[in-house]
Amino acid sequence: MARHKGRGLATIEYPTGMNQSGDLTQSWIKLKHDGRVDVLSGTVDIGNGSKTAHRQIVAAALGVPVDWVTVDVSDTDASPWDTGTFASRCTFIGGNAVKIAAERVRERVLEIAGKMLEIDPADLTIEEGVVFARGAPETNISVSDVAHAATWQLGGELISGTGTFVKPFAKILDQETGRIDRDPHAALSYGASVAEIEVDDETGEVRVERFIEAYDIGYAINPTIVEGQIQGGTVMGLGLALLEASYPYYPSPEHRGADFASYMAPSMVDLPQIDFLCLENPSVEGPFGAKACGEMANNGQGPSVAAAIHDAVGVWVTELPLTPERVLRALEKKAAGEDAPRVDGKWVIFDEELSINAVGAPDADVKFTFDPF
Amino acid sequence: MKAIGARLPRYEGAGHVTGQTLFVDDIRLPQGNLWAKALRSPHHSARITSFDASKAASLPGVHAIITHADVPRNVFGHLAFLGVPADEPLLAVDEVRYLGQPIAAVAADSEEAAQAAVDAIEVEYEEREPLFDMRKAFDPDAPKAHHWGNWLPYFGGELENAGPDRRRIRKGDLEWAFEKADTIVKGVYRPAAIEHAPLETQVALAVPEPSGRMVVYSCTQAMHFSAGHVAAHLGVPLNGVKLVSSAVGGGFGGKVDSSSDTIAAVLALKTERPVKWRWTREEEFLCSGTRAAWHIEVADAVTKDGWILGRKTLTLHDAGAYLRHSSYATTKHTFHCAGAYTIPNVSFLAFAVFTNRVPSTAMRGFGVTSTSFLAEMQVNRIAKVLDLDPYEVRLKNANRIGDTMPNTVVLKDPSTVPVVQAIAEHAGIELAPEYKAMTWEPRTGAVLPEWLVEQQAKGGQD
Repeated sequence: MARHKGRGLATIEYPTGMNQSGDLTQSWIKLKHDGRVDVLSGTVDIGNGSKTAHRQIVAAALGVPVDWVTVDVSDTDASPWDTGTFASRCTFIGGNAVKIAAERVRERVLEIAGKMLEIDPADLTIEEGVVFARGAPETNISVSDVAHAATWQLGGELISGTGTFVKPFAKILDQETGRIDRDPHAALSYGASVAEIEVDDETGEVRVERFIEAYDIGYAINPTIVEGQIQGGTVMGLGLALLEASYPYYPSPEHRGADFASYMAPSMVDLPQIDFLCLENPSVEGPFGAKACGEMANNGQGPSVAAAIHDAVGVWVTELPLTPERVLRALEKKAAGEDAPRVDGKWVIFDEELSINAVGAPDADVKFTFDPF
Repeated sequence: MKAIGARLPRYEGAGHVTGQTLFVDDIRLPQGNLWAKALRSPHHSARITSFDASKAASLPGVHAIITHADVPRNVFGHLAFLGVPADEPLLAVDEVRYLGQPIAAVAADSEEAAQAAVDAIEVEYEEREPLFDMRKAFDPDAPKAHHWGNWLPYFGGELENAGPDRRRIRKGDLEWAFEKADTIVKGVYRPAAIEHAPLETQVALAVPEPSGRMVVYSCTQAMHFSAGHVAAHLGVPLNGVKLVSSAVGGGFGGKVDSSSDTIAAVLALKTERPVKWRWTREEEFLCSGTRAAWHIEVADAVTKDGWILGRKTLTLHDAGAYLRHSSYATTKHTFHCAGAYTIPNVSFLAFAVFTNRVPSTAMRGFGVTSTSFLAEMQVNRIAKVLDLDPYEVRLKNANRIGDTMPNTVVLKDPSTVPVVQAIAEHAGIELAPEYKAMTWEPRTGAVLPEWLVEQQAKGGQD
């Protein structure tokens, strides 16, 4: 009996926004008469931090303090259309929608302030809730005073702006090749995962000691929330790598876990050290250069842990999760000298017993063919 | 203070960690509400031969029992806007295709009374042989899991032009790649179905307004999407429904399907009383959608120094008993089967396969968690088989600016090279100088052999 250390690498890419695009977000921003900002958005915050990110984007695009901004996702009457909180789309697509709306509000504030100050709006800017002349900051008026004047002195205007962001739907032009007519996503993010593990060759148990997680997310609107996404995603990735299965004896439907005592989601005792490397190569179209990091954070750990197991004890386990039972069975096969791939000419064929060719009927409609066409 | 890049605390975060945030189940109406429970299929696959709710309806505290006949539009497709036909009934009609499928629902004064009524509904079934193994779905004598057959026949995505029964991506000349390769590495990869396991189970509170409008307090991840589903099932325009978005106690993709909203709304419509339906923990684990299981076979044509010349894949996606978003996931999967690498010649083939289990649904990484597994397992195996450095094989084949993905997308800012270099440095791996000097700019110089220049620059399909 011995414990063996191993290390494995995975590299991943993941799209921002729905596949084939067309996933629209609209937003509406209005000013209260003291200049405070209401963002009416349809983007439900499921813990991904979109409300926080949108607040920061609006504050920056409009030029007001963050605590002036309220993000309200009330209901389907008050809030304009958002396709939904999925497909890693909220910071990029929703963020662009609120940014565009905020820029329109800013434009209108500058126009009204220009009239009040008798200065060309093009010579004005807004910072920290104050409109001032570029190069002459002593000539200024607060956004609060602009909103108040617009409401009570200049005809009762509601200063507001709408914003829409959508990448047009990408049509598949040819069903034989999958050729499409435009980008099927808003952006692509990349990442890598290194797993450092220990395998117990008597019990088959795998423990992760450290994950190194590197992601290029364009630009972090809020680095703390990005870290939260990466840490949460890494732990979910640990779960799908080592622990979790709806059907523990898949494809059999028997012995499903029906509660947290029998379904093995990771808990604090499973938590390894997580080193997060945040790369920022600003994206072309994202708000302030941002790209998605939401979903992809649980995609690297399955393959990096599987690679680390091979590094540690020399067996490939290719069915997830990488349970002690599967590791032990692989070790038994190796000890019996039955783990080598079949070599046929230049073909090196692993996992033959798992193939549809081995399990399906000889005359089935679909097989994996070795013919390249 | 600069707003962009600021480490601000999570908006509303303090409420979440101090127990002050209101979730749907915390909402109490002054007029109170009825409680819902569902009769669910005890079989994986069966015909319903008789259904009698008369005894159940006479039990104390029972206000309504609904079946498919009470739903204005019982079958509505989640991907109708993409032209994908509808297949899933809100309440089962004359057959059940998975264990836990809802057949009827009860609204009563308490959850106990509702459950007692569910237990008193008399149903007779004629069990059928279920299908569980996707690899047997194509066998001539396989049990039938779906009325469309055992795999989705409509990949065209348009009703008038249903298109093929499979998703294909092809680029380049795979025959050339297999011919030219020194080695072809083949493997089989099987990521599992897993649970979203949210702390908050599926829950909805439907409140009929005096005007006739239906207000639904929902834990949905996508309130407009869900409002559309509720309105469609009720057969009303979008102003006939108002979805009130609440804090979500864990989604991860599992609350894209509004599993509880619509049945609560139909019960509220029938009783003209507010109705709350909150799933038990057991229902959440056993009856809510899962991440799909996948079966993936891959053969990669490689040179002895680690260039991936071509890839052939066969993917089976376990959709479960109904389609939900599985055609979307299968297509997204095939778009990404090359991983973070530029593979000049490919043929990817995928099927959305029906089985007699809970329909699978969206989950974090939808469709692509499985491609990361296949692509990375293959690269690691290729490196081992050829005795090469796995970091260098990745950097060699990395996506670069201007490279073309299998579906003809041209890459603008692909970061395979920067992320591999960064993680190598942090892990203390010393890369050879030519790999250390690599950038994401188009390939030039020492690493790319002359005879591969044309291959790596390949644009669209041949």
